[in-house]
Amino acid sequence: MAETQKKTIVVTRFDPDRDEAPRQQSYEIPVEPDWKVLDALNYIKDHVDPTLSHRWSCRMAVCGSCGMNVDGSPKLTCKDALSEYGDTVEVTPLANFPVVRDLVVDIEGFMDRFQKVKPFILRAKELSVEAGPTRQSPAELDDFRQFSMCINCMLCYAACPVITNEPDFLGPAAIALGHRYNLDTRDEGQAERNKVFREDGGIFACSYAGECSEVCPKHVDPSGAIQQAKLANVIDWLTGLVLRRGEAR
Amino acid sequence: MSHARPVVDAMKPSKPGETRTAPPRPPDGFPSQGNYRAYVAFGFGGFFLFTVSLLVLRAVWALGNGEAAWNRVQASFQNPIYVIFHALAFLWLSWFILRLFRLFPATQPKRIGPFQRPPDALLVAGLSGAFAVVTLIVAAILWGCA
Amino acid sequence: MVDVVRHDVVIVGGGCAGLRAAIAAVEADPKVSVALVSKVYPMRSHTVSAEGGAAAVPPGAVDDSLEKHAYDTVKGSDFLGDQDVIQYFVQEAPKELTRLEHWGCPWSRNADGSVATRPFGGMQTPRTWYATDKVGFHMLHSLFQHSLRFDRIVRYDEYFVSKLLVEAGQCRGVAALDVRTGQVRAVLGRSVILTTGGAGKVWPFTTNGNIKTGDGMSLAYREGVALKDMEFVQYHPTGLPGTGILITEASRGEGGYLINSEGERFLISRDYGVGTKAELGPRDMISRAIIQEIEAGRGITLPGKIGQYAHLDLRHLGKAKLESRLPFVLELSRTYAGVDPVTQPIPIRPVLHYMMGGVDTNIDGATNIGGLYAAGETACVSLNGANRLGSNSLTECLVFGARAGAHAVRYAKGASAGSEPALLEQTKAEGARLDGIRGRKRGGETLASIRDALNAAMEAGTGVYREQASMQKAVADVAALKRRYEQVSLSDGSKVFNTELTAMLELGNLLDVAETVAVAAVNRKESRGAHACRDFPKRNDGEYLHHSVVSWSESGPRFGTKPVTLGTWVPEERKY
Repeated sequence: MAETQKKTIVVTRFDPDRDEAPRQQSYEIPVEPDWKVLDALNYIKDHVDPTLSHRWSCRMAVCGSCGMNVDGSPKLTCKDALSEYGDTVEVTPLANFPVVRDLVVDIEGFMDRFQKVKPFILRAKELSVEAGPTRQSPAELDDFRQFSMCINCMLCYAACPVITNEPDFLGPAAIALGHRYNLDTRDEGQAERNKVFREDGGIFACSYAGECSEVCPKHVDPSGAIQQAKLANVIDWLTGLVLRRGEAR
Repeated sequence: MSHARPVVDAMKPSKPGETRTAPPRPPDGFPSQGNYRAYVAFGFGGFFLFTVSLLVLRAVWALGNGEAAWNRVQASFQNPIYVIFHALAFLWLSWFILRLFRLFPATQPKRIGPFQRPPDALLVAGLSGAFAVVTLIVAAILWGCA
Repeated sequence: MVDVVRHDVVIVGGGCAGLRAAIAAVEADPKVSVALVSKVYPMRSHTVSAEGGAAAVPPGAVDDSLEKHAYDTVKGSDFLGDQDVIQYFVQEAPKELTRLEHWGCPWSRNADGSVATRPFGGMQTPRTWYATDKVGFHMLHSLFQHSLRFDRIVRYDEYFVSKLLVEAGQCRGVAALDVRTGQVRAVLGRSVILTTGGAGKVWPFTTNGNIKTGDGMSLAYREGVALKDMEFVQYHPTGLPGTGILITEASRGEGGYLINSEGERFLISRDYGVGTKAELGPRDMISRAIIQEIEAGRGITLPGKIGQYAHLDLRHLGKAKLESRLPFVLELSRTYAGVDPVTQPIPIRPVLHYMMGGVDTNIDGATNIGGLYAAGETACVSLNGANRLGSNSLTECLVFGARAGAHAVRYAKGASAGSEPALLEQTKAEGARLDGIRGRKRGGETLASIRDALNAAMEAGTGVYREQASMQKAVADVAALKRRYEQVSLSDGSKVFNTELTAMLELGNLLDVAETVAVAAVNRKESRGAHACRDFPKRNDGEYLHHSVVSWSESGPRFGTKPVTLGTWVPEERKY
């Protein structure tokens, strides 16, 4: 019978009521070959140290709860195979976010940015149900579909160097989502959204590091979205000048 | 892993939370490791752009100040430092341009009207190829061959 | 001093049903203020993992009708669904999915720009609207993003509701643990809607995420509201080995085959009651067929995995179709089963997926406590009867979430706020109760061992096939586990983001739900829909055409029955 493999998981611990600053704690645990990093964390919580706090839910890479930094890179721990790491694995809270407890970060900063980009269909006149669904061709759907795949896991925020240094920056996921609505044929709110995009800390704060797209587990390509948004925004602004305010597009 | 001094304000919520939080950590490996190296190098171009602008300003000023001044500036360019500097600038600029081309396809919308965006590899090859050809032509002209 | 916030309507749970209820509430009255209280941020709600689609007769459909959808649902429910509920459902379904389209949901399209539909289990014509194979993700995000338009929907994210505040027979709010600070707060309102989903985590092998712990069901149960039809739990035929991750029914809708160890399409070569529908038969029948194949020795063994499996073969669909219609299935199989569906069959087995039963409500979502409503998987209205058809539940969340939201507003307008001091007293007591649980030292039991034992007991007693003896044992086992639960010792005494405390509360909720499932199951001495009892293999309309209801009492769960609302369709033999 094969010997069970062991790994040492080094986890950041922080309890604001007891700890001055975050500290590290090591756990040596038996691991299975098909485990994801999340399975190791759950094993620690269930069998070794129930005081470890971490967020998770779906375990199938669609709810976005379990983002953390593993050996320095932002990962979805439910998707990340443990076998790809060495004998010691370091799990730290998602970079660029304030830490609430252990591996749990404060995501309210993200929720603020999320709301700012008006991520909903804006129309001059609301549609009635009796009119039935609007028509949208498969090509029109394809234009924005990729940018609608964001699971709000915030790995992109953890990788973005502008987020580190410029506190106001809207950030990859929020901009990609705003751009998704700008591209949706059912939306008429491009002018409003583009105004938000032009503000300080908006899309032009992005200096195209491209790290966000590198770490995105859903291949949303937020940096592509941001650059596309920049071009679209400039065109929109020029058209707005020519047409004088009042035209949605 | 680097544990650089954390930046206190990253992703700060608009309303303060009700418990004390530990400050955010910057991305591991920033700025000197992995893909961040390219990002920093990209930004470093500011140095070349700034320095070249100063040199151009100097030359333009000399042009406006008579032949003697211009000849003095021309003579100073004989210093090997200028050749080395401009060679480095050229190398950096070429890397900058080629990287820009590599990143270019993702910045374009997927389609414009009925026209789909060409495959990324084709766009990059086309742009890089054009760059190479233009560079060779200009070099030939400057070298006095054309 | 107890922290208190005051709204008109309080909604517990921020998934498809909860968000739809919130939107319906603020649209019903421009002055209404809604509290949306959820133990996770809404985009984490388990709606997000639904894959296949949402059913509704497409507007302008030529070969489909509301009557056909209703009949399919009635028959799918094995005639236990309430037909007035079903009639209302099929009528509202197209309107709800249309609204969602207007709100930005990226439904997949036909070439002419109309919404596309796909075939689904138990449906006579394709009427399942879909968004590639991530319908729950797209619906949840569209709903959540649309809800951000309304300032009057105030969110309380990561608040764990641990008690309903009931006073003078009316539900007037909730006591909720603010997980970040560890404080218990009173969220007061004049009506409350429970939309917390089901309780798949009662079983060890489930498609459900960690948060599906039956919180709303337990909250209502403890206040004297009956849980209805709890014995009917749906095993989805195709879950991945080990993790139980869902492989959508749409993979069969697009033409996938189910194969045994001998390479046979057993649903065709043997008689499992699904007729020509084959892989598109109703879920209960297909799950039973797979189990029977395994028991007959034609199951597939996987190295390192316990149990046996069948194969879901998608290879003949071709790479192009798989990449355009089932991209998420490709990703899940590759990441979590190490299998590429383009070139290999996917090993699967039936996995606990959905609970047809839940909080006993009428068609408006109202319970027997004034001001307390429930909708979605939490409720049993009853749309799905003894077995749910795939793609009906997302639409159910919209239709009945909307109805409950509108009715909760109506109720709130007529209701008084009650005695705030009394409500705050209850909240204070609840805070003290939770303080007493946090980090407590009792006997030698651990949280994880009780949870594992519960899983094992319910797997043995309430699996795809049940026997009287094993169900009776489950009843006894759960009762014993409830006593052992009181002896669990905890470790985390922290106030800030204490997930051991919330896990402990969730385990308590799971035990309540399990108790009602086991008691209802042992009292149904027939086989109907998803409840397949080997001792009574036939459906018995004479004695068992009724809903089961289980109510909490000091001396243990009390069992009762409730009539089914029949209608156009009279129970007939359920053959496909």
